[in-house]
Amino acid sequence: MRLEIGNFYVKDIIFGDRLSLNDGILTINKEEALAYIREDDRITEADLYIAKPGDKIRMCPVKEAIEPRVRLDGRGLFPGYTSELAPAGDGVLHALKNCSVLVVGRHWGGFQDGIIDMSGEGQKLTYFGQLNNIVLVADTNEEFERHEQQKKNDALRRAGHKLAEFIGACVKDLTPEDKDVYETTPMIRRDAGIEKLPSVVYVMQPQSQMEAMGYNDLVYGWDTNHMLPTVMSPTEILDGAIVSGSFMPVSSKWSTYDMQNTPNLRVLMDAHGKTINFLGVIMSNLNVALEQKERAAQFVAQIAKSLGADGAVVAEEGYGNPDADFVGCLVALEDAGVKTVGITNESTGRDGHGQPLVTLDEKCDAIVSCGNVGELISLPPMETVLGELQALARDGNSGGWDYDEVLGPSVREDGSIILENNGMFCGDQVVGWSPKQMMEF
Amino acid sequence: MKKVILYVNQFFGQIGGEEKAGVEPEIHEGQIGPAVQFAKELDGIAEVTHTIICGDNYMGSNTDAAVAAILDMLADKEMDLFLAGPAFQAGRYTVACGTICKAVKERYGVPVVTSMNEETPGVDMFKKDMYILKGGNIASKMRKDVKAMANVAKKLLAGEPVGSASEEGYFARGIRHQAWRKDMKPASERMLDMLVRKLNGEPFVSELPIPKIDRVPIAPAIVNLGEARIALLNTGGIVPVDNPDRIQSASATRWGRYDISGDKELRGGEYKTIHAGFDPAAADADPNVITPVDALKELQKEGVFGSLHQYFYTTVGTGTTESEAARMAREIIPHLEEDHVNGCILVST
Repeated sequence: MRLEIGNFYVKDIIFGDRLSLNDGILTINKEEALAYIREDDRITEADLYIAKPGDKIRMCPVKEAIEPRVRLDGRGLFPGYTSELAPAGDGVLHALKNCSVLVVGRHWGGFQDGIIDMSGEGQKLTYFGQLNNIVLVADTNEEFERHEQQKKNDALRRAGHKLAEFIGACVKDLTPEDKDVYETTPMIRRDAGIEKLPSVVYVMQPQSQMEAMGYNDLVYGWDTNHMLPTVMSPTEILDGAIVSGSFMPVSSKWSTYDMQNTPNLRVLMDAHGKTINFLGVIMSNLNVALEQKERAAQFVAQIAKSLGADGAVVAEEGYGNPDADFVGCLVALEDAGVKTVGITNESTGRDGHGQPLVTLDEKCDAIVSCGNVGELISLPPMETVLGELQALARDGNSGGWDYDEVLGPSVREDGSIILENNGMFCGDQVVGWSPKQMMEF
Repeated sequence: MKKVILYVNQFFGQIGGEEKAGVEPEIHEGQIGPAVQFAKELDGIAEVTHTIICGDNYMGSNTDAAVAAILDMLADKEMDLFLAGPAFQAGRYTVACGTICKAVKERYGVPVVTSMNEETPGVDMFKKDMYILKGGNIASKMRKDVKAMANVAKKLLAGEPVGSASEEGYFARGIRHQAWRKDMKPASERMLDMLVRKLNGEPFVSELPIPKIDRVPIAPAIVNLGEARIALLNTGGIVPVDNPDRIQSASATRWGRYDISGDKELRGGEYKTIHAGFDPAAADADPNVITPVDALKELQKEGVFGSLHQYFYTTVGTGTTESEAARMAREIIPHLEEDHVNGCILVST
């Protein structure tokens, strides 16, 4: 399979008459874009903003991030989700780089939503603090979940995916500044030189622990709770085959933007033929019942072994309960003779004394660890808040609270906030961005 | 100017060698032995006002008396930080440094810094309680070890954050926090390096060294269940609907207990779950699915067990750290002991 991504680097974003990209300046016709968003009659209120690195802007509650792109063959960006089911991973797409579409609730947040700051100490706590962002702030008529702590955020998330596609269309007929080509060959038909290198699989454990539908990550529109581990091409992941869900404290989550760009996959593909023979992806999931966890781990180990993998990398989208799936999968692979590296975050608590993962095993001897969900973070007020800051304290955000006799509420009257890292939008960046590391003190 | 006091043994205090190891603690104004170099390193930041000297044998055999005497000596002294050593590979001296640092920290609340070689008993005994710099094995490493101690001391005196154990060179204290790498190397590249090294049989360093797991032995069975008092606890977040103790929905640090004596029942609408880690519909409709008060009262009537403790206890398990959970248990246990509870049912979710 061959995926070609033509890159268009966005230097600035402005509102204007015509959706276009000129010399790195992305112009968006705001009314036209909003009219498109309002075609979904669930959207009751919508506005667009621009948030760039250095702006004194805080966003809350952030629900999703998507890279604007267009497929040159007319296929939708997210087959089986916002467009008809079709294969991904092959072909040419154009992408607006250094740029994302963010979706922010106008009022209401929940357990799974997050914070992004565009300047100050908070800027580096999410990947999106360094991007040029098009920010959709909107509300919906989804009354059934208005006051629910767990929200599907279906209308808002879909609006974001569609907006990313709408904006990405402006570079369909332009020539990219440069391109990245990701090419895979059949696993069993590779050059002798490559065959000599140790072979590696990348095991993804996307978040799929909600038994009710509508919350979990989707693969080609299929709820990842309803699947057993299977083999995928890395180019499918980079081409919209998987979209993010709406469950799990947000610092542990992988947004759709993260999936579209998964740095771990790109690093493995770059190393292919040099230091490793990268076989491909085993798409697993995260489960609720112990037997489901063990079944998934057993499938992963069997597939890795059947493919002849010497090594594996396992990445977990979550912490707490899913640590059992993560550790179980690492142990199953090691037991099958596959040398394995894990990537995760930890929950050592505010004082750093807590046990890092819910369960541990001495076989997990190679782990890259990207953050502490319980790290206490204080951030000063921002001049502008997009959304509603009270959502952090009021709506059951996993990193916020409305009352604490020592710390006070998460949201203070002057607009400063105190929260756990749990509430920073996709902050732990287990997909591979993370310059953060857990360290001993 | 900040003020610092240093503890040394009889040898480094220039009283004498092994023959003087029994000397009782004494305090001197000014700097003796390593204190002179500490004063140079801390010049402009702090002065080393006093040197305390104590024989290693005296500290080892008369620990309580030695510690009490030194704490008394410090009672009227101004002090922003306390130093001990460096102790190198001298076994008794490392234990003495750890002992006195821990006592001073607890009594006077000032930061303490010491240094020992990794081969000594003091390291494992005290590394969780203080900054112990990784010291040399012989006294010729004095200059280097004093400098390393002074570097950490300077940060503590200035109220600046102390870097990670590997950056500063101290023994890890069992505390793990997220921090930014100086080289900002992303996780993806760290992963590939570690993977290739592991595949090639080369040494690599995991970012999460697996700690020893704290296993709790299974308690012996209750001999006479028919007379036993049973208590019900849960991490499933069942609370009265107004959540009077404001227990958090995740990463809980709070717990509550609720009266279920007499004919009290748990009804949906009066109780609910505030746990954010599972679908709450079933537990909100009937809280007994998590805290089976209905079934327990039935079994009690049938004489299966003796009596039910008057309260059930609640916190939330999702994202709650093991250390916070242990702290909450320590707070709950006295209530159970006071009521002579023989057995507990702890419902997880």
